[in-house]
Amino acid sequence: MEEYLKEEYLKVENLTKTFRLSRKQRKTEGGLIVKTAVDDLSFTAYKGEIFGLLGPNGAGKTTTLRILATLIKPDNGDAFIGGSSAVHDEYAVRSKIGFLTSDLKLEDFFTPDYLFDYFSELYSVPAETAAKRKAEMFSRFGIDKFASVKVANLSTGMRQKVSLVISLVNDPDFIIFDEPTNGLDVLTAKTVTDFILELKARGKTVILSTHIFSLIEKLCDRVGIIIDGRLAALDTLENITAGKSLEERFFDIYSQFKGGEAL
Amino acid sequence: MRTVLTIIKKEFYRFFKDERLWLTAIVLPGVLIFAVYSLMGGIIDSVQQQEEDYFPTAIVVNMPTSLSPAFSQAFKLSDGDVDGGKQLVKERKIDALIVFPERFDELIAQYSPASGQPAPNVEIYYDSSEEHSQIAFYKAESMLSAFEDAASNMFDVNRPAAEAVYDFADSQSSSRMILSMIVPMILLMLLFSGCMAVAPESIAGEKERGTIATLLVTPVKRGYVAVGKIAALSVMALLSGLSSCIGMMLALPRLAGSGSGLTISMLTVGDYAALLGVVLSTVLVLIALIAIISAYAKSVKEASGLVVPVMLITMLCGVFSMFVTGVANIGLFFIPIFNSALIISSIISGTMTGGALAVAICANIAFSAALVFVLARMFKSERIMFNR
Repeated sequence: MEEYLKEEYLKVENLTKTFRLSRKQRKTEGGLIVKTAVDDLSFTAYKGEIFGLLGPNGAGKTTTLRILATLIKPDNGDAFIGGSSAVHDEYAVRSKIGFLTSDLKLEDFFTPDYLFDYFSELYSVPAETAAKRKAEMFSRFGIDKFASVKVANLSTGMRQKVSLVISLVNDPDFIIFDEPTNGLDVLTAKTVTDFILELKARGKTVILSTHIFSLIEKLCDRVGIIIDGRLAALDTLENITAGKSLEERFFDIYSQFKGGEAL
Repeated sequence: MRTVLTIIKKEFYRFFKDERLWLTAIVLPGVLIFAVYSLMGGIIDSVQQQEEDYFPTAIVVNMPTSLSPAFSQAFKLSDGDVDGGKQLVKERKIDALIVFPERFDELIAQYSPASGQPAPNVEIYYDSSEEHSQIAFYKAESMLSAFEDAASNMFDVNRPAAEAVYDFADSQSSSRMILSMIVPMILLMLLFSGCMAVAPESIAGEKERGTIATLLVTPVKRGYVAVGKIAALSVMALLSGLSSCIGMMLALPRLAGSGSGLTISMLTVGDYAALLGVVLSTVLVLIALIAIISAYAKSVKEASGLVVPVMLITMLCGVFSMFVTGVANIGLFFIPIFNSALIISSIISGTMTGGALAVAICANIAFSAALVFVLARMFKSERIMFNR
């Protein structure tokens, strides 16, 4: 298992991303004109691993994930996914990844059935494979019961299931989950977490960004803690927690990183 | 290429499966234009008819014998004097008071312009703010002018005769000339509204709702997304424009009146094909322009505001085309939208040349292609696509 884990799938090298703040944003950021969202971030995720990104709001998690998903480009550095550069070879990266985030919405007018077929075509999945995959996934998540109902008429949980399935139409080897259980009831949340473990078992590489400690403890092999755009800690879950709870350790690390600054 | 078709298919599905959308964007414009123009035509006809049928009332003081039969036929005459007549006109109880000088017939027979004396004066008292009084004035004035012409007739111009034809224009070609000035602007505005009905919703709307990011994270090339969107939206806008055109053409004979000779068959099949070509290329330009503005805007509402200058330019192109008379400089046909107005005008007036049509269509297509390229670049820009 250890050797299996050692095959690098994601390599993030010195990622830096800055944003020019709008006049309104400057007021809340103490007059800052340019904000560094991600600051020289480097880490690696191995094949068949669930890698957790933990950090407070505004730490740079979502920006990092957006760079990995090629939606935005870094100012410096690069990320290699399955050997493809997120900066120079974004189309190759897009065909290898699945991205589940609340930023990517599904059009209310369409049904899960239509959307699955539509995105399968956009990913150039052969029709037969797409049909088989759809049957499997819809049945696995119980979507077959509301496959012909417009997204507008679905509950939050149902929508999240559909979004999850749509993000995997291309059966990607690398999946990015940004707060995958947000707003879900316990049953739907369990379905999602069970599925993430299932993906790992199938040898997929998963990046999981969340601020829910229990989710990291339950799912992740290794954790990177991001504070102010920088990597404050990176290790296996056991080494990071060192006998304490992840929550306790996070606050210790946060305090150390901020130079003893109280929360 | 397959992905372009997938995007087009999806846009069509979204549009045609939503009854409210296609009813309001396609069916309604045509029906409304037909109804409004027909109604306008009907109202104008009935007003004209009323004017023709109206038999005004008048008091004529010192009625000359020479004019008595004509005035008795044209007016419902009653007796009265000058002061009483004026009061009645003011009170709107009669339409006009016409006062001839005493011995009018004798005076005009004796009068010579060479004498330097002022000519005999006929006074018509009326109230221009009252419709019937106005009709009475015009009627009396035209009768008196005709009488004056006849009294001092030295020569005629175009004397009416059974077989004499002086104006070689038939009623249809005169109507076509007038239409060639008006239709470009109306048609461009109809096409513009058709484009506005579909484009901002499909691009700014998707951006606003966060659904375009879901498309942009797929491995589909941004250029394909731009081409797919513009192709699909152009077809929808074209259908909307065609619906408006059909509504307008069906209502035109009613609007222009039966004497105008306007019918759908006044243009040839070739004219219609040219019209379709130029309309399609114009729709491409308009859709691409609105799509770029929509991609820049943060919401449909903002896009609708930002698009106003394009609407004004489109309208001005229609207006300025009225001032281009004769054969236009070929250079003008390279200017997108304005060239469309010129071509539409020339098709209707029957002066279109194949060269100008080809230049206009090619210029519009080339301009649209450049805009598609810009749109694809915008889809790549994180600052534009994620500035919420």
